[in-house]
Amino acid sequence: MAASIAARISRKAAASAFSSNRHVISSRGFATEAAKTISPSSDLVKWDYRGQRKIIPLGQWVPKVAVDAYVAPNVVLAGQVTVIDRASVWNGSVLRGDLNKITVGFLSNVQERCVIHAAWSSPTGLPAETSIDRYVTIGAYCLLRSCTIEPECIIGQHSILMEGSLVETHSILEAGSVVPPGRIIPTGELWGGNPARFIRAVTHEETLEISKLAVAINDLSGEHSSEFLPYSTVYLEVEKFKKSLGITI
Amino acid sequence: MGTLGKAIYTVGFWIRETGQGLDRLGCRLQVSRHRTLMNIFDKAPVVDRDAFVAPSASIIGDVQLGRGSSIWYGCVLRGDVNSISIGSGTNIQDNSLVHVAKSNLNGKVLPTIIGNSVTVGHSAVLHGCTVEDEAFVGMGATLLDGVYVEKHAMVAAGALVRQNTRIPCGEVWGGSPAKFLRKLTEEEMAFISQSALNYSNLAQVHAAENAKSFDEIEFEKLLRKKFARRDEEYDSMLGVVRETPPELILPDNIMPDKVAKTA
Repeated sequence: MAASIAARISRKAAASAFSSNRHVISSRGFATEAAKTISPSSDLVKWDYRGQRKIIPLGQWVPKVAVDAYVAPNVVLAGQVTVIDRASVWNGSVLRGDLNKITVGFLSNVQERCVIHAAWSSPTGLPAETSIDRYVTIGAYCLLRSCTIEPECIIGQHSILMEGSLVETHSILEAGSVVPPGRIIPTGELWGGNPARFIRAVTHEETLEISKLAVAINDLSGEHSSEFLPYSTVYLEVEKFKKSLGITI
Repeated sequence: MGTLGKAIYTVGFWIRETGQGLDRLGCRLQVSRHRTLMNIFDKAPVVDRDAFVAPSASIIGDVQLGRGSSIWYGCVLRGDVNSISIGSGTNIQDNSLVHVAKSNLNGKVLPTIIGNSVTVGHSAVLHGCTVEDEAFVGMGATLLDGVYVEKHAMVAAGALVRQNTRIPCGEVWGGSPAKFLRKLTEEEMAFISQSALNYSNLAQVHAAENAKSFDEIEFEKLLRKKFARRDEEYDSMLGVVRETPPELILPDNIMPDKVAKTA
């Protein structure tokens, strides 16, 4: 009985000592707690010669890429993704259609390192699929989530479009703009900033340039796509390697 | 001049075709050298067996990953100069970067600690910060050294949280530089925990898919071709009953409205 009280008091003292130097000790305590509960598997793959698959089907949903679309070998397409004719998806992008559909329209391009995701439901109540219409240029490092982009738009680099946003035709988003959920960018306007605000109207000359830009990037993607063979020759290397180790193919 | 250019172009094209031909013979090693889990110096990542690590992610150095956590496509978790520890049920979404600082202007050495059931959105950048349990870091957010995000706090999308900012419990901070926007309602806080759980379930589906062997992938391709979903009315008109094979059925728990609610 006395021993248990003593134990309780000592525990309390220890707890107060801990709380006084909270930052350093709690952080260490946190880490060791996490370490205690981690049970790593012995056969965890550290290096897989296959790398990351480009097209990841989930259940019945298979990403569909049109024959003349260019999808870089770095890209991850998962779930319900459709890349329509002459579109291009550049290096390092991730198009994750696991909760809802993603469509990249005709002659559109999704540039490097973009992440396009579709939420399960949108705050506007409309279907939460991400649909990118024709002639749209999405600059590098953008994040699109359940948004709709109408034909002939330019989305500047590193912009963030949140759930339910709608970018209407012939509008341009400046680089680094953050479009809040449910926001509509009206036709023919240039918006920018965090959160996105109206800057000016798009001039007629710029409107003509939008589709020309998409076509120019499509030409560029043609040169990139000719660098890559439709199927990799990794299997030849693997067979050679297996043979050298004496494993039957 | 024009014909000379054309001639050079044609020769160049032939050379490239030859190069690709050699490629087909396997003369150049094309095996992917990307290492998902990489040791650096003497530090090795410790990853729980129930965690999902996408093959295109890079987990380097002193990183601990708890149960049921997920690291999505293209992430980089670089624990080379300090340690990163990630709790259970946390998800670090696509293309994020988690790095640690060895030294900064204040001279404090800061490991990155991310708690349990945290959602870190797409393309976030977390550098030497601490995120407590059940917090939400919006997509595209940048959290600099020494940032402390408390429980149930939310960092809005695209926010830039400057050094040593402390984001109190239950608040939403956003903008660049990040400022207090509003307080979170009760149901929004519950939503955060729910979304972390949804992501855990989704991660299991992706983990299963990414771990498939070549034979399994080819088999499922055949299954899909055979059991391609056709219009149900058309089928019933013909009197055909189609059943999707079990390999192609996704688990119910990834759809948010069918998931059992957390207590």
